Amino acid sequence: MAVAYERRAFLLSFPYRTLRILFLAPPVNAAPLIEITDLTKVYRGGQRPALDGLALAIRRGAFFGLLGPNGAGKSTLISILCGLLAPTRGAVRVLGTDVQADAARVKSAIGLVPQDLALYPTLTARENLAFFGRMQGLSGARLQERVAACLAIARLEDLADRRVDTFSGGLKRRLNLVIGLIHEPQLLILDEPTVGIDPQSRNFIHEALRTLHQAGMTILYTTHYMEEAENLCDDIAIIDHGKILAHGTVPELLRVHRAGTIVVQLDTDLPDAVAQQLRTLPQVRTGRFATRSFEIESDSPDAALVAVTEILRGACLPLVSLSLGAMNLEQVFLALTGTRLRD
Amino acid sequence: MIVLRQLLAAIAKETRLIVRDWHALAVLFVMPVAFVTIMSLALRDVFTERAGVTFSVLIVDQDGKLVGEKLRESFTKDKHFHVVLATAPLPDAAQVEAQLTAGLYKFALLIPAKATAQARRRALEQVRSDGRASGHTPSIGVRLLSDPTLRADHRSMLVAFTNGALRAIESRLIAERIAELARTPFGSSAVSAPALAAPELFREVIDELETSGTRKTPNPTSVQQNAPGWTLLAMFFLAIPLSVTLIKERAQGCLLRLQSMPVPTWVLFGGKIAPYLVINQLQLVLILAVGVWGLPLLGGDRLTLGSAPEAIALLSVSASLAAIGFALLIATFARTPEQATTFSATAIMVLAALGGIMVPKMVMPPAMQQLAELTPFSWGLEGFLDIFIRGGGVHEILSEAGRLAGFGVACFALAILRLNGRLRQN
Repeated sequence: MAVAYERRAFLLSFPYRTLRILFLAPPVNAAPLIEITDLTKVYRGGQRPALDGLALAIRRGAFFGLLGPNGAGKSTLISILCGLLAPTRGAVRVLGTDVQADAARVKSAIGLVPQDLALYPTLTARENLAFFGRMQGLSGARLQERVAACLAIARLEDLADRRVDTFSGGLKRRLNLVIGLIHEPQLLILDEPTVGIDPQSRNFIHEALRTLHQAGMTILYTTHYMEEAENLCDDIAIIDHGKILAHGTVPELLRVHRAGTIVVQLDTDLPDAVAQQLRTLPQVRTGRFATRSFEIESDSPDAALVAVTEILRGACLPLVSLSLGAMNLEQVFLALTGTRLRD
Repeated sequence: MIVLRQLLAAIAKETRLIVRDWHALAVLFVMPVAFVTIMSLALRDVFTERAGVTFSVLIVDQDGKLVGEKLRESFTKDKHFHVVLATAPLPDAAQVEAQLTAGLYKFALLIPAKATAQARRRALEQVRSDGRASGHTPSIGVRLLSDPTLRADHRSMLVAFTNGALRAIESRLIAERIAELARTPFGSSAVSAPALAAPELFREVIDELETSGTRKTPNPTSVQQNAPGWTLLAMFFLAIPLSVTLIKERAQGCLLRLQSMPVPTWVLFGGKIAPYLVINQLQLVLILAVGVWGLPLLGGDRLTLGSAPEAIALLSVSASLAAIGFALLIATFARTPEQATTFSATAIMVLAALGGIMVPKMVMPPAMQQLAELTPFSWGLEGFLDIFIRGGGVHEILSEAGRLAGFGVACFALAILRLNGRLRQN
């Protein structure tokens, strides 16, 4: 039992030790890893630009979250970054290299993890890794070493020689992730890598990504799960209609957006008279009232907060929560991109 | 060096994918073999020895003398006719027509009673020493009736054949009459009648191909005609699985992933060409083997391959390049496997029909024949027939092989342009 336990402990620790060895933090460099200037893409027959004069810089070593509703321009941006699509106007430089001028060099530095499970179902996990590794120019002992390392990161060593079509969704996601790491890219681009998997697999992927980030890898991450971005990313941009609407760290975004919003949840029903009192406060610009909660917008939120708490205390209404400004990234996201359904 | 390794990796990957879907692989071999076998056996009689159709002919001989005998002899000697002699009581014209309409015979020859006597009498009246014809004996009315469903060219052939036989009898009777006229007053003849009865000024025209020992190449049996055609069809049907694999790779995101790597597009396509080229060659070998050894066991004709295996190899590789290029081009245009499957199957069938695989080009109208010359199926078929039937070698099929390979390379280039263009511009 003791031996088995030790072996298990070794396997669990192996990926992270491997990662630390393989992804040494690069020297501090002030130059951003990705520089995007005036990037515009108009598709043939498109009614409006998919990207509209977009400008963005992503620093080396960042865990960068790119958030946006469907059709916002995320996939177009990733495709241009990876050299898959030509921009209509503007420039993209990755590691100081113009993507359009030397796509092959940029591609060698990027690992793409597509949203789709980009795997060959009738090949084994090992064969998938080896094939994509060879296509990235690896061979011989180096290839074998990288295949073993990636299997270890995904904890797929025991399943390495099983065909992928026998894998669960979570196992496939893990393999999909590590194929993007096979050539030790400097920039890892992940397009919604946790769609449709169980919480354990999602947690595993999050942990793996955190470790990669700590080891110095620059990560560009797109997701629709706001809490994922909030927990993982140290730098976030919200994109819509091909433009960057907001850019900053999570605290910065929460502080800046919805700063004048007060949201209150009560433990009892809100009496009409109290609601009327709140509505007529001079500091309140607009208000939305429900049975046990309300949300008000104010141009002077600090004064409004004092007035609201006094009214609630006077009415002896017990609070569940009270917040000033956005409570989470999702509120910021909806405030910026709206609640209208997208295609 | 890296590109070569990438190409080898792509070939190895594609080979694994093909081999692991062995059901699909088996279909690629079983279906064409079954098709060639069935079609060769089914059409065997159409291409039987001497490559012709046998017509059943009813001869109603009311004469029973020289004219009747000679006509019966002519039809019986010819291999294209199956002669049935009407027996007493002999049917009249109306009854014969009814039998033809009922499909019992294709033709009927009605030789009137006393035709020989009437012919001799007419010769007596028409061929006179003073050069002036006299008498009132009418010409003899031998009738040829035919099945109303028969094709005009077959009827025309029969009419010509019957007239030829009648002209021979006519010559003999006129010669007999001339011999009589040449008889001397002392009872001996200056010209012997038998010598004049069979004058031969021209040698009989013969089918030199069929004369024993003169034919150097095999007869165009059903298997000789079918094997190359259906082999080409099988090769092109490879377009369906090939295009579907590429579309699936695109749908799965594998193609996107590969294109995000420093891999030239031609390497991605090149990885597919090699294994499918091998499959095409194995298909050809299998079909030829079935033609040479399998079909004779089932009672069919044996496939004769000619004497230029190097020409077969060259033509086969060229046809394969054309088929694979065509498949890759379809794959880059189709958006779904369903689109690729439907379009490939339809396009291949149309091109095959146009190229003479299903309907011989010679029966097509001239405009269609010209159009057929533009299809890769026609090039391939003509190339294989050059080798198998006309005894040609590499030199004789260079033109067809070049056109096939050129078609394949052009499709391949277009597919690369299309894929790159689709990516770059979308």
